[in-house]
This record gives sequence, structure tokens and C-alpha cells, in this order.
Amino acid sequence: MIRAEGLVKEFTRPVRRTGPLAGVRSLLTRERVTTRAVDGVSFTVDRGELVGYLGPNGAGKSTTIKMLTGVLVPTAGTVEVDGRVPWRDRTRNARGIGVVFGQRTQLWHDLPLRDSFELVAKLYGLDQPDYQRALGRFTELLDLHEFLDTPVRGLSLGQRMRGDLTAAMLYGPPLLYLDEPTVGLDVVAKARIREFVAETNAVDGTTVVLTTHDLVDVERLCRRVLLIDHGQVLYDGDLAALRRRYVPYRDLVVTLAREDDGPLVAPPGTTVVERPRSARDTARVVVFRFDPAQTPTPAVVAAVTAEHEVVDLDVTDPDLEAVIAEIYSSGRVRA
Amino acid sequence: MTGPVATSTTGATTAAPAGHLAAQARALVAIGRQSVRSALAVRSEVLVSGVAVLVRVVLVILVWRAVYGSTPEVVGVDRSTAVAYAVLGAVFTNVLNPFWRSSLEVRVRQGRIAVDLLRPVGLVPQTLAQQVGTTAAAVPRCVLAVLLALVIGALQAPAGGVLGLLAFAVSTVLGVAVALLCNLVVAMTAFWTLEVGGALMVYRAVAQFASGALIPLWFMPGWLRGTLEWLPFQAQVFTPLSVYFGTVRGWDAVGAVAVQALWVVLLALLAQLVWSRALHRVVVQGG
Repeated sequence: MIRAEGLVKEFTRPVRRTGPLAGVRSLLTRERVTTRAVDGVSFTVDRGELVGYLGPNGAGKSTTIKMLTGVLVPTAGTVEVDGRVPWRDRTRNARGIGVVFGQRTQLWHDLPLRDSFELVAKLYGLDQPDYQRALGRFTELLDLHEFLDTPVRGLSLGQRMRGDLTAAMLYGPPLLYLDEPTVGLDVVAKARIREFVAETNAVDGTTVVLTTHDLVDVERLCRRVLLIDHGQVLYDGDLAALRRRYVPYRDLVVTLAREDDGPLVAPPGTTVVERPRSARDTARVVVFRFDPAQTPTPAVVAAVTAEHEVVDLDVTDPDLEAVIAEIYSSGRVRA
Repeated sequence: MTGPVATSTTGATTAAPAGHLAAQARALVAIGRQSVRSALAVRSEVLVSGVAVLVRVVLVILVWRAVYGSTPEVVGVDRSTAVAYAVLGAVFTNVLNPFWRSSLEVRVRQGRIAVDLLRPVGLVPQTLAQQVGTTAAAVPRCVLAVLLALVIGALQAPAGGVLGLLAFAVSTVLGVAVALLCNLVVAMTAFWTLEVGGALMVYRAVAQFASGALIPLWFMPGWLRGTLEWLPFQAQVFTPLSVYFGTVRGWDAVGAVAVQALWVVLLALLAQLVWSRALHRVVVQGG
């Protein structure tokens, strides 16, 4: 569906002067600085995939998306979407893709939400029955009833985002780009958007490229992630494999029934991790750490509960956020 | 993936360009209508801009009547023509709101250009459709202002009866087209400079003056008028008004309208050329 090879995007701007008469000297200077926002990015995305495209602010995510959608022309490298070069064949490429930029909207500010949808239907040549069917479906899925006839300027951010998603999907594009679709939304609104994206991908087979800073989005939706920083791909592959590479363990957190339960017995394949007692703990809490690839979780649970009387237990996976934070700060992915 | 690709590209190039054009035309009409609705959506704004044009018309009437005082004629232009010209000049200035505001300039500055570039319609036709829509939304208030001027006797019916009115209408449409295209070309420099405010300010000052919207070109010195003949500005306002007042008539009027049409063609080509060069320079501001 998407094939990008050695994509590069450079931006050039005149040097800004400082000091006396800075404004005039900035205008007159012929000196220019070039920044490389995307520096040799290659990847492919197959039909029906849902890929998370991650990276810190300024990593080059949005610039890549803009090259994939045909908004920007690459400085070097090639990009093909469904066999077309997006920027050269912009209008035809536009028919086959849906795009949501979380930071901006395609809706008409002063007009009722419905008017924007009608324009989209006309722009993409949808006939009336198809339009009504699609609108009905999205109204149902995203619960648009209440605000279909409200001017866009009066919508909450969550409502606006649902509107933008509908506008991007109304004409059934086989490929959907979501650039930070959950930015600034509350928990319920985020969950609704995620559910919608998952359904679109699963039911309609829509290929989705998702950029986000919200790792819950990634965990809920993506099997595969692409990590980029400083315009280069740091990691491309399975999310679970990435997590294993960093933290190859899982924790079984157990609350014991009695304070003095005798000496702790760690079942084979596990180690006991001390956890400082916090004010929230009303009883003794013990953490057993194990590698789920070596020791199956049920076996650990069975062994621990056989040895100790337990009132509560919880199995936790290491924090994806910590993994990503380490990659961002070190600028590379561990081998 | 190569199989379906090959069929889809050949299919796209050979499959009914006429159907493709019709689809594009429908899309542009839809954008234009949406722009009209958007411009008329906020009631207070519509009201204020309506009042503004009426006030302006009344003011220019008062000023030009005072300028003439009891003098019947200045350089061959009589008092009533000068006042009537000022009225129509004010109305044109109002309807040609791209003098002040280009959707392209604003959209580049806000980074909204990204959304326009994702539409299955070319950027130049799309921007023009938006501008035509906003311009059309200004027509009702301008008709109102013209009626007011007619009622208070500051304006007479066009010279040459029905035929004159028709010629004026054609010339007006072409004048608006020239203004929109000029503005688009200037606004497209935003792709190079990112900040187009200065260029547009200079352009507006020159265009208002050189188009004859502010002062009739009859009052300009000969060498200046000679220079302006070769520029697209007078085609925007001065030509339609000259047709209205019958200072050009008959074959001269036909010639003047033909020059306007020529400017439309030239500027449309120039706009496409500038855009094809700008394509590689698009920068989307703000993330």
C-alpha cells in the first residue's frame, strides 16, 4: 500500500540575524540554513495494517505524513502510495486517502457540522444514497446526533475530532492517516476514537497509519510500530518484541493475607523484588518477577498461591512509557 | 501490488477525462457555495459590513459634492459624473474584498493550506472558487448601496440603455476576475517568503489607486495614464466604470472588454505557472 525509500525532506530558510538592525539585516542576508526534518526514511506498509508511527516532538513524523499524503514534495527519495506518487498525482491520490490532523481541522468553522460533510460528499463525488448511508453509519458509530446541526465553532474538542474523523472517512478511503487524533481529549473521548479506529481497521480493512504521543493508543491499537527520531528510523517492528528487548519480565504483585507469613518462597524462575511499603498498602505486598517466555504466568500464580495465603494478585507488564522514554533519551534502540 | 497498480494508472489517464472535468466542476461549485454560506453565517458580521458599505457610499457622495462646490466641471468631468463615479468606486472596492483579504494568504499563514492540498481538486481552482464565493456574498450589500445612491440621486442609470447595462455587467464580471487573479498571483509569493503581508499591502495600495477605484483615471496626468494602460489594474475597476458612464462606447467598449478578457487568460496562465513552481516550495506551518 505504501512504499517509502530513502525519504528526505530539507527545509531552507534565511539566517536570522541578531544585534543592531537585526530585522533589516535578516531581510538582506543571502545566507541560508538548511534543516533536515526527515533523513532517509524507508518502510513499507501492507494493505490492512495498522501501524503506529512514533517519535518525540520534532522527530519528523508530521513531515513524513505530509510527504505520504502529497502535501509536501520530498527533497530526495521515493514514495509510492497504491502505485502512485502522491505529490505528482495529488488529486487522484487524495481520493484514496483520508487524513485527520489532530492539530487542525478540515471542517468549516462558521457552518453546521452537517454542511462540512455535504461538501465532502460533493468533493469526492458521493451520490445521495451512498452519502446518507455513510453518514448514518458514522452518526451511529461516533454518536454525532446531538451536534450534527451545531456550527463547528461551538463544538468541544472531542466532538470536533469525531467530526473530523467522519469527514475523513465518509467516502470510504482504503487508507487512513491519523496525525495525533487523540491529542487533548479526555479519557472517554480517547476511548471512543480508539474503538472507532480499531473497528474501521478490522471491519472495513482500512489501512491505518497512526502518529501519536499517547502510548495507550499504541498499546490498544498497534501491533507494529515505527519509531523515528532526528528524521531517522530507530525501530520498525513488533511492539511486543520491542518491549521484550527492554524489559524481558513480568511482575506478579501479591497482597498477603497475614503480615507474618513466614519466610517467602520464590518459585523456580522467579525472583522476589522488594517494594518499599507505601501509605496505600494496608497489608504486606510482595512482587515476584519472572520471564513469561521461560515460566508461564499460570504456573507462577499456582506456585505462589500454593505457598502463601493471598488476598489479592495482579499481573503487570512493564511500562511502555519507560521503554519509549529510554529510547528517546538515548537516541537509539538496544540491539 | 504491481498488477492492480498498472491497471489503475492506465485506467485513470484514459478513463473519461470529460467525466473527470465534470466532477471537478461540481466540486468547485460546491466549494464556492460553501464559501458564500460561510461568509453569510455570522449575522452580526453581515450586518456590520452592510452598514459599512452604506456609510462609505454616503461619505464619498458628501466629499465629492464638497470638492466640486459650485464648479460645474473639472478637466471635462462634470459634478454629477464625478460623484456617481465615486459611488461605484466605493462599491467596487467593497465587492473586490480580495483587495484586503486573500484566502490563500491566510491559509498559508495558518498552515490550513495542508487541508486544501488534500482535496481532490487543484489548488488554484480551489482558491479561486473560495474567492468567488466570498465575493458573491458581498453582492447583496453592494446592490443595496447602489439602490440607495440611485434613490438619493447620486447615481444615474448606465449610459446606453439595456445594451449599456449588459456591457457593464460583462465588464464587471471580467474586472472582478482580473482582480481575483492578480491577488492570487501576489498571494502565492507566500510560498517563497512565508510572510506575504508586506507584499500584499504594497499591492493593495497600488491596485486601489491604479485601478481607478479611489480617484477616476481621468484626473491622472497623461504619462501616468499611458503607463497604466499597460498594467492589469485599470481592467479591474476603471474599464467597467468607463463602460457604465459611456466614456468608452461602441467598438471602443468591445475593445476594452476584449483587453479585460485577455488579461484574464494571461493571469490565469501565470497563476498556473507560479503554482507549478511553488509546488516544490510548499511549507506547512505549525506541526
